[in-house]
Amino acid sequence: MEDCIRLEYDVDGENFASAGNASESVKRTLKQLGVSPEFVRKVAIAMYEGEINMVIHAHGGKALAEIYPDHIGIYLKDSGPGIADVDLAMKAGYSTATENIRSLGFGAGMGLPNMKKYSDEMTIETAVGVGTTVYLRVNF
Amino acid sequence: MNVSQFVKEAGCTVFSEGEDRAIESGYCGDFLSNIISRATDACAWLTVMNNVNVAAVATLIDCACVLLCEGVAPDEAFAARAASLGIWVLGTKENVFEACKTVARICNV
Repeated sequence: MEDCIRLEYDVDGENFASAGNASESVKRTLKQLGVSPEFVRKVAIAMYEGEINMVIHAHGGKALAEIYPDHIGIYLKDSGPGIADVDLAMKAGYSTATENIRSLGFGAGMGLPNMKKYSDEMTIETAVGVGTTVYLRVNF
Repeated sequence: MNVSQFVKEAGCTVFSEGEDRAIESGYCGDFLSNIISRATDACAWLTVMNNVNVAAVATLIDCACVLLCEGVAPDEAFAARAASLGIWVLGTKENVFEACKTVARICNV
């Protein structure tokens, strides 16, 4: 297997204060590695949206980033409620977030669409009542 | 124009400080997903949103500063995170529209 830098994070589902820590850490690492700002931004946005989704919808989970010379692979794994209708969830503007979540500035229904927009590959494995794993790949 | 100079000329409140960079553009919004996908680097981000996630998003978009409008002041968690991340968080009593005009006039953006 090709060598890569592997970063793992616990995403705390109860804590909005730490939401974004994993993406921020990955962003910092990519900057230090000299990845161009354009790609750093894509990764940061896609991963942050995923991280926030885990906090809002799934009581947290695990984030794993694998940095290769030519791309990054990000796995966001939760044991939350799962996504009943992925096509609907992917629709811009569709959100199941509560009023409380909206008051925090989330719930615009742009999370998954942004993740797709800013990644080169995105796959969602999900089962209702079991959880969701999202894979994101951004090529450098 | 750099953030510190803007603060002097606009008479903003300073809640936390960061790297003294040039303000090159502006973006207004409260929905964080819109901001992270649309705000440009080195912008002044004008918002009335007051919570800790603003600090995280400000870092992700690499804005020059956050300008809280309409007299909004950061809560404790937001202020603490902004200070630890080194983000300029400014405040003004102006509404978002008036604050936009101020940024545009002073920074010539």
